[in-house]
Amino acid sequence: MEKIWQTLLDFYENSIKQPFVSSFITDDRWKMLLEGFGNTLLITLLAAIIGIFIGIVVAMIRTTYDNNLESWSRRGGFGFFVMRVLNRLCKIYLSVFRGTPVMVQLLIAYLIILSNVDNTLVVATVAFGVNSGAYVAEIMRSGIMSIDRGQIEAGRSLGFNYAQTMLRIVLPQAFKNTLPPLLNEFIALLKETSVAGYIGVRDLNKAGELIRGVSFEIFMPLIAVAAIYLCVVLLLTNLVGKLERRLRRSDH
Amino acid sequence: MITNSKVLISVNNLKKSFGDLSVLKDITTDIHKGEVVVVIGASGSGKSTFLRCLNRLEEPTDGTIVFDDVNITDAKCNINQHRQRMGMVFQQFNLFPHMTVLKNLTIAPMKLRGLSKEEAQEKAMQLLSRVGLADRADAYPSQLSGGQKQRVAIVRALAMNPDVMLFDEPTSALDPEMVGEVLDVMKQLAAEGMTMVVVTHEMGFAREVADRVLFIDDGKIAEQGTPEEVFGNPQHPRTKEFLSKVL
Repeated sequence: MEKIWQTLLDFYENSIKQPFVSSFITDDRWKMLLEGFGNTLLITLLAAIIGIFIGIVVAMIRTTYDNNLESWSRRGGFGFFVMRVLNRLCKIYLSVFRGTPVMVQLLIAYLIILSNVDNTLVVATVAFGVNSGAYVAEIMRSGIMSIDRGQIEAGRSLGFNYAQTMLRIVLPQAFKNTLPPLLNEFIALLKETSVAGYIGVRDLNKAGELIRGVSFEIFMPLIAVAAIYLCVVLLLTNLVGKLERRLRRSDH
Repeated sequence: MITNSKVLISVNNLKKSFGDLSVLKDITTDIHKGEVVVVIGASGSGKSTFLRCLNRLEEPTDGTIVFDDVNITDAKCNINQHRQRMGMVFQQFNLFPHMTVLKNLTIAPMKLRGLSKEEAQEKAMQLLSRVGLADRADAYPSQLSGGQKQRVAIVRALAMNPDVMLFDEPTSALDPEMVGEVLDVMKQLAAEGMTMVVVTHEMGFAREVADRVLFIDDGKIAEQGTPEEVFGNPQHPRTKEFLSKVL
């Protein structure tokens, strides 16, 4: 009996307490995790804002072009030419940024395009933001396209111009449809930022790696990092669920 | 037929193609102020396309449409201003589902005509009372029956004080027992002297209310005249064939 007790005590001392202390307590290493977590949240939040901004612009250009193709091509002129070029640029943007791994995009941003920017946090934020913009744009576009064409026609037949019809009639309805997939995109974005360590950003994942390096512990830091990601994602998923239920309830 | 009043809409050599498919082949007609024109024809004959060309929801491929002495098919014309004076009612109602009935009626007059909220609401309530729906002002469209939705859609267009009302198969999506209430509103409107262009399958309505019936076949006006002429003594073989099927 005493032997079993001793074995358990040893196990606790050597496999749990010691690794825990050297992973998080020694030299206040938990602060590294906290700092990394902060950076992860910061990158995700700012990248999401950049993504939403780009997404709205690209989605508006693409849907405006598709919706007005007929009347513009009839009138022709410089405006039509500009929209055609913009639409084409948007399409190229979408296929390039959705067609290559975000990891590769991050390295291209760091090593080539933004190579003279010293702050890696800025580089990562821009790279993830521009990448996310491509996905957000398609989410918003499908949200706008999901609104019955009759709504646009009803607005236009009353005398609203295209922009007014979009703003007052289509977008308020489309927004409701895009909220859940948009939040899901940001959950994915949060997880994707874990590759930011490749360019030296001290995000949550990188913090775990640094702790593993100094403490020679593997299990504790890694599991801690995983658990933190999981907690945030579960929290956000929960939020999406609540949101979806609320939107369904107010469905008119 | 009304021919002594002013021409409100003049359609000249209107053509419309979707790609290689030619839907309207050559349509010329004048719609006079106060006239009720009912457009009939088989499915796919182009009657809805004709109506939708009148306010350029479909862009005409060729030809001109002159509305109140302005060529609205001109590329430089600001169609939005003219659409404010051309009310349209759709088969699928197309009410704005995220707004109450009252908001559906007031948004355009407020934003486009510059009416104050009070003015717009007063006018909207008057219109709703006219169609017996004043008590549903705060309801959302999803809470209304089909017939109620279409009556709201009609007064939404009327709230802009249009010079002409375009109806695109307004009763085709309704349950049979609700057709009457919508037709009654339209009859009342016609009696008040509103200029109306109505695409419909309701031959009884055409017979009773129309000043002129247009029979469109294969993208052309095959025959037109008073209801008595078209229904009583059709000349064109396609008109005879069509009427024998629907009457």
